[in-house]
Amino acid sequence: MLACAELSRVKKRIADFQLGPVDLTIEPGTITTLAGNNGSGKSTLLKLIMDLATSDSGHINILGTPADTNDESWKSNVAYLPQTSVGYNPYTGQDLKKIIAPLYPDWDDNLFADIVDNFHLPLHKKYGKLSPGVQQKLRLALTIPRNSPLMILDEPTSFLDIPSKQLLMDLLTDWMDQGERAIVIASHQAADMMKLADYLYVLQDGNHMGTFEKEELLQRYRKYWLASELPETRAPGEIARENQQIISNHPEQTESFFHEHHLTATFQTALELEEILTLLLQEQNVSRLP
Amino acid sequence: MKLPIQLSKESREPIYHQIENQLKALIAGEQLTAGTSLPSIRALSKDLEVSIITTRRAYQDLENQGFIRTLQGKGTFVAEIAAATKQQVKHDAVYQTMADAVDTALRYDYSPDQVEEIFHHLINTRKGE
Repeated sequence: MLACAELSRVKKRIADFQLGPVDLTIEPGTITTLAGNNGSGKSTLLKLIMDLATSDSGHINILGTPADTNDESWKSNVAYLPQTSVGYNPYTGQDLKKIIAPLYPDWDDNLFADIVDNFHLPLHKKYGKLSPGVQQKLRLALTIPRNSPLMILDEPTSFLDIPSKQLLMDLLTDWMDQGERAIVIASHQAADMMKLADYLYVLQDGNHMGTFEKEELLQRYRKYWLASELPETRAPGEIARENQQIISNHPEQTESFFHEHHLTATFQTALELEEILTLLLQEQNVSRLP
Repeated sequence: MKLPIQLSKESREPIYHQIENQLKALIAGEQLTAGTSLPSIRALSKDLEVSIITTRRAYQDLENQGFIRTLQGKGTFVAEIAAATKQQVKHDAVYQTMADAVDTALRYDYSPDQVEEIFHHLINTRKGE
């Protein structure tokens, strides 16, 4: 099946910041979250995909078309929500819909009306007069009904309260069930959007730290509470310890070490994704030291 | 519909397997009866906060074992299952729960005799009710 987006060996330098090389394939039917610290290159990567910035090297294909082609008609197949929308202030929601809807052949007016209803959006008010939260909801209402095979959301939950975030997740879930589609989300609020993701693409300071299927990552880490003092020697797989608690990134090895040394774990648990991401970024720091 | 599935972070059982076993128990226990429509893979993934890779694997296993069936374009439904299969699921669940209890006791250095004593005590209090 044709990939929704395919990036190979993409690099971009901005002053002393270097993004990439990025290799990323977005298959239909999947949700991928770009996770990383502030300034890790998430938004830059999305801008490269949208051809709003030019890569220094590598290739980007969107639904089979090179993104840097002169003909920009492929853009009607992508729904992109940037972090901010410039030039919206003098227009009402109704005006904006009239401008945006005709650009997208599969625009769904009913879905737009539904979202407006659910978010209680005032369509007659000028965008510039709306609160940041309402502006964000309106921008989402102007993005999701484009019904393009690829949706790219840069920080979609900015300014949203908890019920609105929940509603957004329900909307995106339903949207995914309507066809062969894919979503790419950039979010620095790890917990929010990772819940929805199938894959996590982790970036740190422009470097690709890995692409993980969510449960694969969760199963790789384990936390143990031991009944007795910790051994002086480092257990295989051990990456952190505190009091009688050990965190391992090789649970099998760590458990056989416990067994050999007659140590008993009285309690064990998987970690939260946020904890894992923090550890993952720390580990990489350590391994990059000279 | 939200399914009453609770994933355990403490258990070493893979997540797809937890989903599979809990769905089996719901079907065998007839909380989900034949013909009941199940959530889409995407919707269940959202509810459980897992990836579609995990949910799809659970659904595929259940389909292969005849617990659910997917109708193209219509969705996924609970299948008609044999009484013997229901019995087997219940039997497995009870055995597993007891095995886990025995393991916990042995981990806390209880002797097999003590475990037996606890078991008899529990059974007797329930018989007395």
